[in-house]
Amino acid sequence: MSKRGQDAYVVAAVRTPVGRKGGMLRHVRPDDMLAHVLRAVTEKVPSLDLAEIGDVITGCAMPEAEQGMNVARIGLLLAGFPVQVPGVTINRFCASGLQAVADAAARIRLGEADVMIAAGTESMSVMPQIMGNKVSLNPKVVESDENRAIAYGMGLTAEVVARKYGVSREDQDAFALESHRKAVAAIDAGYFRDEIAPLMVRTHLPGAEGTVAVRESMAEIDEGPRRDTSPERLASLKPVFAARGSVTAGNSSQMSDGAGAVLLMSEAALERYGVRPIARVVSYAVVGVPPEVMGIGPVEAIPRALQRAGLKQDDLDWIELNEAFAAQSLAVMRTLGLDPAKVNPLGGAIALGHPLGATGAIRTATLMAAMQRDPKVRYGMVTMCIGTGMGAAGIFERV
Amino acid sequence: MERLRIRKVAVLGAGVMGAQIAAHCANADLPVVLFDLPSGEGDRNATVLRALEGLKRLDPAPLAESQRLGWIQPANYDDDLEALRECDLVIEAIAERLDWKQSLYERVAPFLAEGVTLASNTSGLSITALAQALPEAVRRNFCGIHFFNPPRYLPLVELVPHAGSDAARLDALEGWLTTRLGKSVIRAKDTPNFIANRVGVFSILAVMHHTQRLGLGFDEVDALTGPRIGRPKSATYRTADVVGLDTLAHVIGTMQTTLPEDPWHGVFRVPQWLESLIRQGALGQKSGAGVYRKEKGNILVLDLSAGTYRPAQGEVAPEVEEILALRDVRERFARLRASGHPQAQFLWALFRDVFHYCAFHLATIADSARDVDLAMRWGFGWAMGPFETWQAAGWRDIARSIEEDRAAGLTLANVPLPAWVEGLEGTHSAKGSWSAARSTWVGRSSLAVYRRQLYPDRVLGERFDDPGETLWENEGVRLWRRPDQDQGVGIVSVRTRHHTLGAAVIEGILEAVARAERELDALVLWHEAPFALGADLKQVLEAAQAGRFDQLETMVERFQQASMRLKHAEIPVVAAIEGMALGGGCEFALHAAHRVFALESYVGLVEVGVGLIPAGGGCKELAIQAHRMARRTAGGDVFAFIQPMFEQVAKAKVSRSALEAQAIGYGRVGDDVVMHPKELLYVAIRRARSLAEAGYRPPLPEREVVVAGRNGIATCEMMLVNMREGGFISEHDYRVGKGVATALCGGEVESGARVPVEWLLAVERREFMALLRTPQTLERIAHTLATGKPLRN
Repeated sequence: MSKRGQDAYVVAAVRTPVGRKGGMLRHVRPDDMLAHVLRAVTEKVPSLDLAEIGDVITGCAMPEAEQGMNVARIGLLLAGFPVQVPGVTINRFCASGLQAVADAAARIRLGEADVMIAAGTESMSVMPQIMGNKVSLNPKVVESDENRAIAYGMGLTAEVVARKYGVSREDQDAFALESHRKAVAAIDAGYFRDEIAPLMVRTHLPGAEGTVAVRESMAEIDEGPRRDTSPERLASLKPVFAARGSVTAGNSSQMSDGAGAVLLMSEAALERYGVRPIARVVSYAVVGVPPEVMGIGPVEAIPRALQRAGLKQDDLDWIELNEAFAAQSLAVMRTLGLDPAKVNPLGGAIALGHPLGATGAIRTATLMAAMQRDPKVRYGMVTMCIGTGMGAAGIFERV
Repeated sequence: MERLRIRKVAVLGAGVMGAQIAAHCANADLPVVLFDLPSGEGDRNATVLRALEGLKRLDPAPLAESQRLGWIQPANYDDDLEALRECDLVIEAIAERLDWKQSLYERVAPFLAEGVTLASNTSGLSITALAQALPEAVRRNFCGIHFFNPPRYLPLVELVPHAGSDAARLDALEGWLTTRLGKSVIRAKDTPNFIANRVGVFSILAVMHHTQRLGLGFDEVDALTGPRIGRPKSATYRTADVVGLDTLAHVIGTMQTTLPEDPWHGVFRVPQWLESLIRQGALGQKSGAGVYRKEKGNILVLDLSAGTYRPAQGEVAPEVEEILALRDVRERFARLRASGHPQAQFLWALFRDVFHYCAFHLATIADSARDVDLAMRWGFGWAMGPFETWQAAGWRDIARSIEEDRAAGLTLANVPLPAWVEGLEGTHSAKGSWSAARSTWVGRSSLAVYRRQLYPDRVLGERFDDPGETLWENEGVRLWRRPDQDQGVGIVSVRTRHHTLGAAVIEGILEAVARAERELDALVLWHEAPFALGADLKQVLEAAQAGRFDQLETMVERFQQASMRLKHAEIPVVAAIEGMALGGGCEFALHAAHRVFALESYVGLVEVGVGLIPAGGGCKELAIQAHRMARRTAGGDVFAFIQPMFEQVAKAKVSRSALEAQAIGYGRVGDDVVMHPKELLYVAIRRARSLAEAGYRPPLPEREVVVAGRNGIATCEMMLVNMREGGFISEHDYRVGKGVATALCGGEVESGARVPVEWLLAVERREFMALLRTPQTLERIAHTLATGKPLRN
C-alpha cells in the first residue's frame, strides 16, 4: 500500500507583460526578465526565507546564448537569491514553463522540498532565427520517411492539422479576431494587472556629447493585442507555410518576449509561513503524438490529466489553451468538445503572444489571477501543443 | 581651376522625380537632404517620409540597395533650411510653376553655401526666367539639370544654362554628372521643353493626330510604335498611361502656352477623348484606368468609335510587317510611303512629321543634330534618333518626299524645310554633326571626362572608334589591346551571342590567359553588356541528348579549369561587368582577381532554373567564402554563412544592382562600382594596371577548406522538405536544391571536415552531371532554349 504524498500548492504567480519580437522588451535580456519575475514572485510572500527555496526550475525552449548557460541559476543569482538556492533549466519546447510547474510540484509531493519556484523565460528577439543560434539537423531525419516530419516547420504542421481536421481559413481568421477582441477587452478591464509585474526597461543609447543616454520606460501592458485588426485585414494576409494553405501570420501565435514565475509550497510550508494558497496542483500529463500533427497534442494530454485528477471535462471552469495556431486550437476544441466560452476568456497567444518556454508559467499566472478574481472558477487547466509532437495539460484546483 | 566638390546634395521637392533623384544620389554614395513642405499634424517631415516609403515600392527600384534609404535625410522648409548650408549642390524639383519655384528660391537663397550649385529639374520652364529670382552670386551658378523618369535608369540629363551661367562651372558639372551620377549629358538651349521633351511630346502629338485621322486603334498604334520601329515596348499610349494622362495633358498645355509662334502650334492641343478621360478620372496606371484598363487579368483598350473598352489585340497587318522587316532602310521608307495600308500611311506620316519638325527647329533647340539624336535615345529610349533615321532612309529622298507631301497639304505644318537640308547628304559625317545654328559641322565635346569613354554611343555616320589591336582570337573570344590606353593590358572579349559561354569561349579564355602570362602585364575581361547570360545550353543539350556524357564532363572540367586559371593566373585578371552576369558569367566574375562593376549589373547563379547547379567553380568559391568568414567567428560555424548562400542559389537570386551583388557575395570589398557604364573599360584597364604595378601575386590555392558537410546538407534539406510539403516546389526542384546544398556543403562528409579545393570541384561536377542525366533537367533546358523562360516541372 502506497503512502499518499503531500500536496503542492501555488501561493503566488507573476509574469512580465509580453512584448512583441523586436518590440518593447527587445533589449531586455532573458536572464534579466527571469531575475525580475523571481524577485516579484517572492515579494508576494514577504516572510519567506529565500534560503529555503529547494530549487528554481526554469523552462526555456532555446536555452542558448543570452538564455543559455543554465539561465535558471544565472537568473536567481541576478535576483539576489542566496547562493544556496540551486537552479535548473529544463526544455520541453512550448510546454517548458508548465513542465517546470509540474516538476516543482512533484518535488514537493515527494517530500524533497517545501518551497519551490517554477519559472519560464524566453526572448525570441535575441534569437537570430526561430530555431536558435545554430541550426543543425541530423541527416537521418531527412533520409527516412518515418522521421521526416521532425523537419517540419510548426506552420506546416498547422497546415496538416487544418487539412486533416477540416478547419477552414474563415474559421481560423474568425478565431484569431476573437482572440484579439477578448485580449483587448481584458486589458481594458484591468484583468491582467494583478498578475503582471511591471518592468522598468532601461535602454542604453548614444546620447549627447559622447555620453550614453539611458532611456527608461515602464513595460506594464501586453504588446501583442491589436485593436485595429479586422476580418478584412486578416483575410488579406497570404498563407506562408503552404502554397495553397490557410495558415497566415494573422491566425498564428505571435513571436514574443516574456517571463513568468510560480511560487509553490507544501502544506508544511504554508503553515510555517502562514500563507493562504491560491490553488492546489491537481494533475499533469504529457503525451506524444505524430510530429506532423503536433498541434493536436492536447487531444491526448487533456483526457489523461483529467483521468489522473478523477475529473470530467465539464468540471473544468477555465481553460488556458495555448493558441499556437488557430487551426490546431480549433481542431483540439472540436475534437474534445471543449466549451468555447471556457477557453481563453481573456484571449490567447494569437493576441497575447507566445514566448515559447515561458508561456506555461505565464498562462499559469493568468489562471491563478482568474481564480483569485472569480470564486466560480474551481478547476482550471493550462494546456498546449509541443513541437515535434506532444501535448501537455496541467490541472489546478482553487482552494 | 579648382575641382568641383560636391559632398552633400539637397533636393527640394519630394515628388516622384525629387525622391528618385535623391535616391540616385544615394546610389552614388552621396548623402542627401530631401526637402518638402512641413506637415500640419504629426511628424513635421511626414510628406518626405511618405515619399521615402514610396521609393521602396517603386518598380523598377530607384535604390540600388535598400539600405541606401538611410542616406536620405528628411527635412522641411520651415525647420531645416539651416541644413542647406552643408550642401554643395541643390536640385529643385517642385511642381512646374514659375512663381512657386521663384518664391522657393527667394526663401532658400539666404541659406545657400557660398559657391553652391543651384539647379532646377524643370522639364521645360525657362531657366533664364527662373534665374531672375536669384541673387547675383547664386545666379551665375544656376542652371537646369533635367533628369528623365526613372532617373536611375534613363541615361539622359539635359544641362541647360542661361546667358549668365558660369561656363567653367557648367563644364565641371557635366563631368560630375557623367562620372559621379553616371548620367549622359546633353547641353540643351533654354527653349521651352528643351530638346527631348520638345521632340518627344511632338512625336506623341503626331501619333495622336494620325491615330485619329486614320481611325486606328490605340492598341494597333502601340504595336506599330513599339520595338518594331526601335521604340520601347510600352510604345505610345501605354507610356502615356504610365506617365499619367493628366501629366501628359499638362505638358501639352505648356507647349501650347509657351510656343505660340511654333508653326505646329495647331497640333499642340489635348484631344477631346483625352480630355474626357481625365474628366472621368481615368488618368492611366495610377488610377487603374486610362487608355488601357485591366480587368480580371485581361487587358482592355479604349475603343473610340464605340466609346467603351474592348480586349486589346493590336495586330500589325502582314503586308506592313513585311515592309518593316526589310533590311534596306531606304526601301522600307519608300514602301511605307507608297503603301495604301492605313498602318503604313500612319508610320510614314509619323516619321515625316517628326523629321520635318526636327529639321525646322534644330537651329533653335540644340547645338547639333547629334544632340537631338542622342537625347531621344537616352531620354526616350529610341534605338535611333530622328536625324540618323532620316539619314539612313536616304536624306535627299526623304527631304523630297516631305516637300511633296507639304505641297499636297499633308504635313502638319505648312513651312518649308530649312535651306541647309538641301545642301547636305545627312546631318552626321566623319567631320561631325551638323549645327544648324552655326552652319557648321560640330565634333564631339573636348571635355576631359569624355576621354574616359572609350566606346561612347555613336550616331549613324559618325567616325568609327579605335577597334584596338588584335593579339589573338578564336571563334569564342578575341584577345586585344588598346595601345593608346595601355600597351601591357590585354582585353578578352567574348564574341558569342548574348556572350554565352561554350567550348570555344572556354578554350579561348584558357589560351588568352596563357598568352597574357607570357606577353602582358594584366588582363581585362570586357565586352558590351550583357557580361554573360551563362553557359551555352544548346551545346549542353545537344551533347546530353546524344548521350555524350563523357564529353560533357570534360567540358565542365574545362570550365572549372578556366575559372581556376582566371583566379590563379600569374597576372591580375579584372572582370568588367555590366548588365546580366548569370550562371557561368557570374562564376567567371567570382574568380577574377578584381571586379569593376557598372552600377547596373545583374549578377546571379541561376542554374537551378534549368535544373542544374553552378559547376564552373561557383559553389566551390562560395564554400571558400564561407570557410574564410567562419574562421573569423567565435564558433567557426561554416553553416551560418552557407545557409544564406544556399537560399540565394536555390532561389536563383539575381542582384538588382552592383551594390546588391557585392552585398550578397558576388563581389568583394574593394571591388569598383562605376556609375557610367561607358567608363567601365577605361577604369578596368587602369585598375588592372594598378594591380600589376602593385606587384601582383596570384592567390595561393586554399590548402584545405572547412565544410558544412552532412549536417549542413540535412539542414538545407529541412528547408526543402518544408517547401515541398507546402507545395511551393516540385520533386525535381527538391532534387536540384539538394544538389546545390551538397555542392555548397562539400559533399556527404562530416561537418567541419577539411577538404582540398579539388574535392569541392569534384563534388559540384558530380552533382551537375547527375542532374544532367535526369529527364526533367533536359526538359527544362529544352524549354528555356525554346521559350527563354524557365520550366517548372
